[in-house]
Amino acid sequence: MVKRKLGALEKVEADLPNLQHKLRKDPKSYIEDFRAQHYQYESHREIFMTAPSSATDTGIISLRDLIDFIAHVADCYPDITKDFGQQLMDMLTQHHLLLEPELREKIVGSLVLLRKKDLLDSATLLQTLFPILISTPSKTLRALIFQKILMDLRTANAKTINHKLNRIMQTVLYNLVTSDRTSSKGLWAIKLTRELWKRQIWTDAKTVEVMKEASLSVNEKVIVGGVRFFLGGDKEREEMEEESSDDEAVDLGRVKHQIGINKKTKKKARVIQRAKATVQKRERKKSQPHPLNFSALHLLHDPQGFAESLFSKHLQSTKSKLNLEQKLMVLQLVTRLVGLHKLHIMHLYSYFQKFLTPRQPSVTSFLASLAQASHDLVPPDDLEPLVLKIANEFVSEASSSEVATAGLNAIREICVRQPLAMDETLLQDLVMYRKSKDKGVVMAARGLLGLYRDINPEMLKRRDRGKEASMGIQHGEKKEKRFAAQEVGGIEGLELLEQWKEEERKRKRAEKGLPSDAEDDEEEDEEDENDWAAWNVEDDEDSDDSGGWVDVHSDAEIDFSDSDNEGGPRPAKKAKQGDEEPQTAESKPDPKKPSIATTRILTPADLAKLQELRQEAAVNALVPGPKRRGQTLEARHKEDPLTAAEIEGLAALSAGKSTREERIAHAKEGKTDRSEHKSITAKRKERKEQEGKSTTNKEKARKKNFLMTLGKAKSKGKRSLVETRNVLRAHQDRQKRGGKRGNKGN
Amino acid sequence: MGASQKRKKEKQLDFKKPKLKVGKAKAKPENFTDTSFKSKSIILNQQSLKLTAPSPSTQFTHTISLLSSKSDPQRRDALAHLTTTISSAPTHAPLTTPVSAMLPSLLPLLLDPTAAVRTNLLKLFRVLPESDIQDHVAQLLPYLRAGMTHLAPDVRVSAVEVLSWLVGVAGGEVVACAGGWVKTLNCFLSVLGWHVEGGSKWTSVSTSSTSTSSSTTASSSAGGARGSFGKAGSKGRPQVKVLTVLAEFLQAGIGSVSESEAEAIESESGGGGGGSFPIMQLPAQMIPQTAAPYIHLNLFGKPRDEEGEMYETREDRYRVFEGRFLGAVEKGVEGARQEGGEVGRASAGVRRVLIEAKT
Repeated sequence: MVKRKLGALEKVEADLPNLQHKLRKDPKSYIEDFRAQHYQYESHREIFMTAPSSATDTGIISLRDLIDFIAHVADCYPDITKDFGQQLMDMLTQHHLLLEPELREKIVGSLVLLRKKDLLDSATLLQTLFPILISTPSKTLRALIFQKILMDLRTANAKTINHKLNRIMQTVLYNLVTSDRTSSKGLWAIKLTRELWKRQIWTDAKTVEVMKEASLSVNEKVIVGGVRFFLGGDKEREEMEEESSDDEAVDLGRVKHQIGINKKTKKKARVIQRAKATVQKRERKKSQPHPLNFSALHLLHDPQGFAESLFSKHLQSTKSKLNLEQKLMVLQLVTRLVGLHKLHIMHLYSYFQKFLTPRQPSVTSFLASLAQASHDLVPPDDLEPLVLKIANEFVSEASSSEVATAGLNAIREICVRQPLAMDETLLQDLVMYRKSKDKGVVMAARGLLGLYRDINPEMLKRRDRGKEASMGIQHGEKKEKRFAAQEVGGIEGLELLEQWKEEERKRKRAEKGLPSDAEDDEEEDEEDENDWAAWNVEDDEDSDDSGGWVDVHSDAEIDFSDSDNEGGPRPAKKAKQGDEEPQTAESKPDPKKPSIATTRILTPADLAKLQELRQEAAVNALVPGPKRRGQTLEARHKEDPLTAAEIEGLAALSAGKSTREERIAHAKEGKTDRSEHKSITAKRKERKEQEGKSTTNKEKARKKNFLMTLGKAKSKGKRSLVETRNVLRAHQDRQKRGGKRGNKGN
Repeated sequence: MGASQKRKKEKQLDFKKPKLKVGKAKAKPENFTDTSFKSKSIILNQQSLKLTAPSPSTQFTHTISLLSSKSDPQRRDALAHLTTTISSAPTHAPLTTPVSAMLPSLLPLLLDPTAAVRTNLLKLFRVLPESDIQDHVAQLLPYLRAGMTHLAPDVRVSAVEVLSWLVGVAGGEVVACAGGWVKTLNCFLSVLGWHVEGGSKWTSVSTSSTSTSSSTTASSSAGGARGSFGKAGSKGRPQVKVLTVLAEFLQAGIGSVSESEAEAIESESGGGGGGSFPIMQLPAQMIPQTAAPYIHLNLFGKPRDEEGEMYETREDRYRVFEGRFLGAVEKGVEGARQEGGEVGRASAGVRRVLIEAKT
C-alpha cells in the first residue's frame, strides 16, 4: 500500500482554523488555548518589532496567521485582547512602508474585522487608515484602504446617519484640502467625498464646503476634481439612484410558481425567501419619504463669494496654470453659478469679449457659458456689446454655415434669458437669415424669430410677427417685460387641473342629458359637494349611487354655499355666463384670470389629480409628434447646464461627427419596438425555444417527414375489417388511459 | 432575422455528435493549441567548473544560507554539518562566522515543523561557545517563548528543551533580561495549563476553589494533564520534562544563593568596601564585564510595562513571583503531586525550589 503523504500542517496539527472553529463554539473551555496563542502572537510581535524589515516567515505559523486568528475570535475574549487593536494600529502606522504586502493587507483587514465586531470605533479606525491612505506609496494598499474606508463609512451610515462620525471625517477632509493647497493629496478627499455624495451618504452643506475648498486650491488636479464634482456630481447621484432602484427585478409570482413545479429543496426555499425580502425591501423603500436632495450648487453657503474667487483666481489671474480645457470647466461652473443664483460678477462679461471669435478653439463652449451666465438681472448694457460682437463675428454671409448657426443659437440662448440684450435693428437683421440656404442657419434664425414673437413681438417687423402675436398686440396682452420685473408665481400645472375639471363637468352633464354649456347653481353646488365628500384620495364612491341621502344633504348645503358665493361670484361662472367672450379665449387658460387656487381650497384628491396630470403632460411631451414651438425651452430644467452641443445645433448632427450607431439611435428615439408586435402563439413559441423546451405532439406530427408517414398511409388502405376494429379499439383505449403510458393520476 | 437564425444553429451544433471515421485520426478539438516545438540544440544551465575546492569559510557561509532551504532534509543536514564543523574546530580558535551573525538564521528554526531539524538545532546550540550565547539571550527568548506556546506539542517540548539548555548556560541572563522573568513564567503556566482564571487577583481568590477542582479533574482525566486542543506530543511525557525545566528556571530566578556565588558577591562587595580611600567603588569604575551594561536604563527602547520589565535582583523577582504566580504554581504542583508517578516526582523538584525560596 502506498503511504499517504502528509502535509506539514497535518504532521504537527498546528491547525489554527480548527482551533478557531472550536473557540467560537465554546470560548470558555478553550480559554487556555487561546491564551497560549495570544502569548504566541505576543512573542511573534516582539520578534517582528525588533526587526520589522526582515519579516521572514517563521516556521509554519506566521504572524499573519496569528493576527488573522486573534482578530476572528477577539470578541470572545475582550479582556485578553483589549490591546490588540491598538497594537495593530501601531504596527501599521509605524511600519507600513516596510511591511510585506500580505501582512499589511491582513492587518488592514483585521482592523476592519475588529470594527465589524465593535471592538474598535469607526472614528479611531478612520483616523488610523486615512493618514496611511494619503502617505503610502503603494498603489494596492491605497486601493485597499480606500475601499475599506468607504465601506466603513457606508456601514456606519446604513441604519441611521452617524452624524458624529460624518462630522469628524468631513473635518479631516476639509483640513486635508485646506492645509496644503499646493499638494495633490486633496485628491483623496475629493475622491472620497464624491463617492459618498454619489451614494447619498453625505448630502449636507459641509460636504459641499470641502469641494468648494478643493476647487479653490492651487494644484490643478485638485481644482479640476472639485469643479468636476460641481458640474457632474448631482447627475451621477441621480443615475446611481435609478440604477439601484431597478437593478434586481424579481418576479415573485414566477418564483413561487416554479417552486410549486420543481423539487422542493432548501436552496429553492432560500431563493424564495430572498426574493420575498427584496420585494419587501422595495415596498418599504417606496413608502419611505423621498429624501430631500439639494444639489451641490444649492447647498453652497456663499455662491457670490465662491464664484468671484473662482473667477479671479483661475480665470482672470495670469498666474493660473490651468490649460484651456480646465479653464473652460471652471468657466462653466462660474457661469452656472451666476445663472442659477442670479449673481453679478463685475468683469465676467468683459472677460468673454476676447474669446468670441470663430477662430477661438472650442468657442461653442465659450458661447454656451456666456449664455449660461446671462439672466434677467444682468444689465442689458453688459450683454449688448457681446451680442453685437457675436453677430459681427459669427453671423454674416461670408462665414460658414456652422459658424453662423452657432452664433445665432448663442444669441437666441442669451436672449431667452435676457430679452433686453437685443437691439431692434439687429434683431430684424438676424431674423432675415431664415431665408438662408443652410438648414441649420434657418432653424436657428427661426428659433430667434419664434422667441421674439413670444416675448416681444413689437421689436419685429410687422410681417414677421405672425398671426397670434399680432392679435396679442391688438388685445394688449403681449407687453414688453421691463428690466428685473418679476412674474407672478403660481402652482405648476394648475391650468391642467382646471381644464380637467371643466371637461369632467361637461361629461357629467352630457350623461344626464343636459346641455353641456347650461349652468345652474344647484348643479354646481352638488358638484362642489362631491368634491368635499371626496376629500380623501382613497374615497372613490360616487354620490350618485346613494341618491336620497345626498339630496337632503345638498339641500342643506345650498344656503351655505349661496351665502358663500355672494361675497365674490365664481370667476369661472362669470367667464361662462358672459356671451361676448370668444370661445377660444375660454378654452385656453387665461393668465390674468384669477386661478382656481385663489377661489377654492384644493383638496388632497385635487392635489393627487394635479400630480397625475402633471406626469401625464410630461409623458406627452416626450411622445413624438407635432410639437408646439418653444417646448424645448420649457422642457429644459432651470438647473440643467447649457452644453456646447446645443449651441452647435444642427451643425453637430450634420457634420458627420456622430457615428452610425448614434444616428440610428437618434432615428429610433420615438419609435416603439417592432418586435413587440407578434401573435401570442409566436411569442410563446419563441420563448419555449429560448428556454430549450420541446415541442408539442401536435407540432411534431405536423413537422414529421412526409416519407415517414407514407408507409402507414399505404398499409391503412389494405387493412382487414378485424384489423381496423382492433386499431380503433386500441385507439379508444389509449384515449381513455390518457396516452400511451397513461395518466398515473387516473 | 438572419443573424439570429445562424446563432440558433450554432447553439444546436453543440449537441451534435461528431462523426468518427475508421482509419482516420480523431479530429482535434476546436480549442486545441499546438505546443510542440523544435530546437537545433539543447542548452544546459551554467555549470561550475572550478578546479579548487571551496575554502572552509565559504563552505561554512554557504551552509548557513542553506538553513532557510525549503526542504527538510537539507536544513537538517546543514545543521549537522555546522555542528561537526564547529565541534571539530580547535576550541581556542574563533568561529569563522560570529554567533551574532549566525543567530538570525538559526532562531527561526526553533519553530521548525520537522522534529529532526529541531533536535539538530539543539545539538548545534550545545557546541556553541557559552560566553557568546550569554550576550544574545534577549534575542533568543522571544523565539523560545513562541515555541513554548506553539500550537504543535512537539514544538513546545523541544522549545522547553532548548530553554533548559539556555538556563544551564546563561541562567542569570535568562531571568534578568527584559521580559525574561514574567513572560517566560506566563508561558510555563500556559504550557502546563496552570493558569488562574482571570487576570486580577480579586477574581482569582473568588474562583480559586472551583479552578482547583477543575484543574485536578482535568489533570486526572487527561494523560498530559491538560484538557486541551491538539494531540499530546509524540515524545512520551512532556509534562515531566516541562516540570523539570520549570524547576531549573525557578532555581535560576529565585533559588537560594549557592555557597560559591554568595562568596563571590561577598568578595566583590568586600573588595569594593575595602578599597583604599580614593577608589571607594572599584567595580563601578572598571570597564564593565557584560556586553551591554546599561541596557537596564532602557535609553532607546520603548517604555516597558510590568511584563516586559527587567527584574535584575532575586528580591525583585520573588516579589513579582509571589504577587502573580505563587498561588497558581503551588496549586499546580499540588495537583501534580496528587497525580503521582513520574509527574509527581518531577513536581517535587519544583516544590523544593519553592520552599527554599520562601525561607
